[in-house]
Amino acid sequence: MFKILIVSALIFMSGCTTVVIDEYRRSDGELAAGDSVVILGRRHSSDYETEPDLIACVGRELHNPEMGVNIIPEEEFVDIMYPWFEPRTAPMHVRSLDRLMENEGVRERMEAYGVKYIVWIDGSTETTASAGSISCTISTGGAGCFGFGTWDKESDYEASVWDFRDRELSGKLSADAKGTSYMPAIVIPIPLIARVQNNACKGMAAQLQQFLIPTGGTSS
Amino acid sequence: MKYWIKWASLYHLAAVSFTALLLAACSHTVQVEGKYPSPVGEQLPLSVGIYLSDDFRNYTYEEDSEDREEWKINTGRAQKNLFETVLGSMFTNTVSLVQYPENLPDNVELVIIPEVRELQFTMPRETRVNIFEVWIKYDMNAYDPKGEQVASWVITAYGKTPTAFLQSQEQALTQAINIALRDAGATLYTGFEKVPELQAFLSGKLRSASLQEFKVKSRKAE
Repeated sequence: MFKILIVSALIFMSGCTTVVIDEYRRSDGELAAGDSVVILGRRHSSDYETEPDLIACVGRELHNPEMGVNIIPEEEFVDIMYPWFEPRTAPMHVRSLDRLMENEGVRERMEAYGVKYIVWIDGSTETTASAGSISCTISTGGAGCFGFGTWDKESDYEASVWDFRDRELSGKLSADAKGTSYMPAIVIPIPLIARVQNNACKGMAAQLQQFLIPTGGTSS
Repeated sequence: MKYWIKWASLYHLAAVSFTALLLAACSHTVQVEGKYPSPVGEQLPLSVGIYLSDDFRNYTYEEDSEDREEWKINTGRAQKNLFETVLGSMFTNTVSLVQYPENLPDNVELVIIPEVRELQFTMPRETRVNIFEVWIKYDMNAYDPKGEQVASWVITAYGKTPTAFLQSQEQALTQAINIALRDAGATLYTGFEKVPELQAFLSGKLRSASLQEFKVKSRKAE
């Protein structure tokens, strides 16, 4: 029993993370039946890249057809709209959508998928500092590690919500998350990982849900 | 004596295996396999022949400098798929040419031949940024049915991918190359009509097509 408790504690122990969410709302979300939301990552910056797994995570957290939130996966959307949502060709401003809609094929596919909102997420998670050292030894008598390591991670993401049908910016969200992970090693290394990116994803998804369905109930 | 031979063979086998292991540890092989979506948009009213040479179809980039580990990156099959898909969707009619300039079909108005000029990549430890980056440069050539060059232009493609937990260098590089190839397709598709020589060629074709249409209508009216 005691062993099970220790193992469970080790599994569930993790470093602390703080998440700060800011919101700027120009209009309330209005999702009708059959409407879809697309979540896309911005990939035009040269020194960082919005992680595809973060976009997938926000999409997974938000996707809830029972509440009227239908998310089109990023990869599927980018493929059906190829080449108009590639890093080089993706619209950077809401007003650029008008020019894109002059393309009949794109307009037809957008309508067929019932796209109401396009959410652009821009940012990344980075390791900002690390300290400590762990050394491991293998010998005929056995193997073991000794030491202590720690590292800080920071997430900084901004989501812009575009109302595709009204061709306007509905609002913006930002998620800043910070966390420190620890790894003490006494024979066995015990990782206490701060899930910074995951917490930023969950925070952003929760806020986006409030944004898209303000009442929190099923949309009509 | 018998035993001595056996031990010597074993020793050689071990030495060869160890050397092979060391060499394998420093060399990387990447085979890029990719399927690419067809572009969405209107087709240009042209009958185009696409000639992808054997060098292009089997293109392998080999990195063999002293500062880097050995890399063999085969992008041939992936870029063949990309160019066939993108060019195949761009025009009203496309023909894959097995050889050029021999046996050119009569209905072909323009022949497009891409060639790889350059491929470059950087690893996270070289740039101190947590991303793998790839650049590919293509020389594009277009010829008329007589074999005269209509246009020659360059396509530059860029792809990057962040480092991911439990992802090997090979996987990350493959992902970055696939993104670069998608970028090449996007540039080819959106930039084709912006090449001045091709613009002139297209307007000439459209003019002659509308002139022929006008003549047919006039004859019918008579």
